[in-house]
Amino acid sequence: MSAEVRITAEPIDNGRCKFLVSEPVHAGGVRRFASPDEAQGSPLAQAIFAIPGADVSEVIVSGNLVTVVKRSPAPWPAVGKAVGQAIRAALAAGQPAVASKPAAAGSATADDALYERVADLFDSQVNPMVARHGGRVELIDVQDAVVMVRMAGGCQGCGMADVTLRQGIEAMLQQHVPEVKGIVDITDHTAGSNPYFAAAKK
Amino acid sequence: MLRPYSPRLLLLLPTVTYRTVAFVEAARRLGVDVTVASERPSTFERANPTGLVTLDFADPAHAAAQARAFAYAHPLHGIVAVDDDTSVVAAAIAQELGLRGNSVAAVAAARDKHQQRQLLAAAGVAVPRFELRTIAADPERLAHGAYYPCVLKPLRLSASRGVVRANDPPGFVAAFRRIQAILEQPELAECGEWARHVLVEEFVPGREVAVEGLVTRGSLQVLALFDKPDPLDGPFFEETIYVTPSRLARTAQQEIAACAQAAVRALGLREGPIHAEVRHNDRGAWLIELAARPIGGRCSGALRFESGETGNGRRDTSLEELIIRHALGMELPTLEREHQASGVMMIPVPGAGVLREVRGVDAAQAVPLVEEVVITMHHGQMLVPWPEGSRYPGFIFARGETSEAVEAALRAAHARLEFLTEPAD
Repeated sequence: MSAEVRITAEPIDNGRCKFLVSEPVHAGGVRRFASPDEAQGSPLAQAIFAIPGADVSEVIVSGNLVTVVKRSPAPWPAVGKAVGQAIRAALAAGQPAVASKPAAAGSATADDALYERVADLFDSQVNPMVARHGGRVELIDVQDAVVMVRMAGGCQGCGMADVTLRQGIEAMLQQHVPEVKGIVDITDHTAGSNPYFAAAKK
Repeated sequence: MLRPYSPRLLLLLPTVTYRTVAFVEAARRLGVDVTVASERPSTFERANPTGLVTLDFADPAHAAAQARAFAYAHPLHGIVAVDDDTSVVAAAIAQELGLRGNSVAAVAAARDKHQQRQLLAAAGVAVPRFELRTIAADPERLAHGAYYPCVLKPLRLSASRGVVRANDPPGFVAAFRRIQAILEQPELAECGEWARHVLVEEFVPGREVAVEGLVTRGSLQVLALFDKPDPLDGPFFEETIYVTPSRLARTAQQEIAACAQAAVRALGLREGPIHAEVRHNDRGAWLIELAARPIGGRCSGALRFESGETGNGRRDTSLEELIIRHALGMELPTLEREHQASGVMMIPVPGAGVLREVRGVDAAQAVPLVEEVVITMHHGQMLVPWPEGSRYPGFIFARGETSEAVEAALRAAHARLEFLTEPAD
């Protein structure tokens, strides 16, 4: 591990913030934790749920990205620094920051079934549509009926990516797979090198 | 089961705006249905014909007709524009559909710096002396008749693009030719008559502030007054730091607010957000520019309002939520800005070149009071300094107990950033 772990916070709104880490945090796909109980055995997720006053409700870890959802009105600057400390401590500890995904059982089986349907929708409809703008949307995982996606190509860093996500993909999911409870974009949009529409004004 | 009633907002989002996430997520938080209109079709428009529509932003009257056709099938209850161009389109649609908004004439006057000057001067609002010149004119001849120092500016470009100060006739000629070259670029030359003119106005010395406000039935509520602590004396006018609350004396702040209100009245603006640049000196407040739109770029992140009382307890409200609530006629919470001082730095362009790497973001982020460092330019994109450029490589946000502390934090964070560029081919 290099000496300096760089973390960039990218708040989406007051409840949700993405933290881009300069080193991989978890290489084994996506892990989503919806409660402190689920975080047992994953030191990073445990530490984030334990941040005082943050009332964290969800932690999603994938590659270099850590997405944190909180209920408290505390501003991200205060909570974000504690999240940063938790990430650095977990990486410095020399053991996996996040445990591997457990074998399928219960809701995981339902998620697997949802995954198949969402994947089919992405293959047959979503990706052919975004491909017209040079984009691609990867289905990363479905956990507790929440769909996790990563945008690539012309979608990554595109000024209209949030419109594509909310008005496009989410709307299609509501129509075709209404059991889906939400959608989370785990894309690092700052790294897009060829966005379809780069924001161009001040 | 019947779905609960939810008003539908038409959100005008140009495809190249920075404002998408802030407005789309604000609408989601408020639980309103959104139709996003853009000037280019989304690939999902057929799949979600209620949520996406393409409008002709280049022709407000045509866009209004398109919106009327859309509204037959999907009734609209409010409209929000996010920048100068779409504010004119929004006015046309609001008029067509009877939605809350401004008249096209008022917004068009605000959009054009010469028309704006004429209306303000006629109404007795303090503005610099000004003259309209055509870019086909001989600058050598014009230079001899100008007053100095003066500022030359195109009529419509945003973010101070093409705005240049001249202190003497040689400076005037150089500035004029530089603006001429900008306006002759193909994408601007075809924009219409405004791109063939330059406004020449007296340079007004003094402290410059930005006024962020919300107009309701013609009455301006000042939401925030931002100091601009870096002197904007030219030759170019790239903005850097905005900090609120203002450290100007209370009487000066009152004069500035009164000046902005007078400008709103003179232009005939009745509803919605405004963003004004005002200078203050020993002769009072001078209206430099007023736009019928909210603050640009990512800068709205510097504003939070202590107004959200929800079922889960108190929470902050963003500027975008206030604007959407206002547009839909929803109840507005108190419009008090948060207690803390807040500021944003529009990171200066370090020089011309292709951006290869930005170093020190983590160190900048670690400066006490700094909340966020956002690099908005992508690697491989061109950095273009002012006056030809108009795009900042990123933004730094800070909050603290005092404006002085916030300003110091922004400067300290900026000092830790290093931009690596290479010459363009």
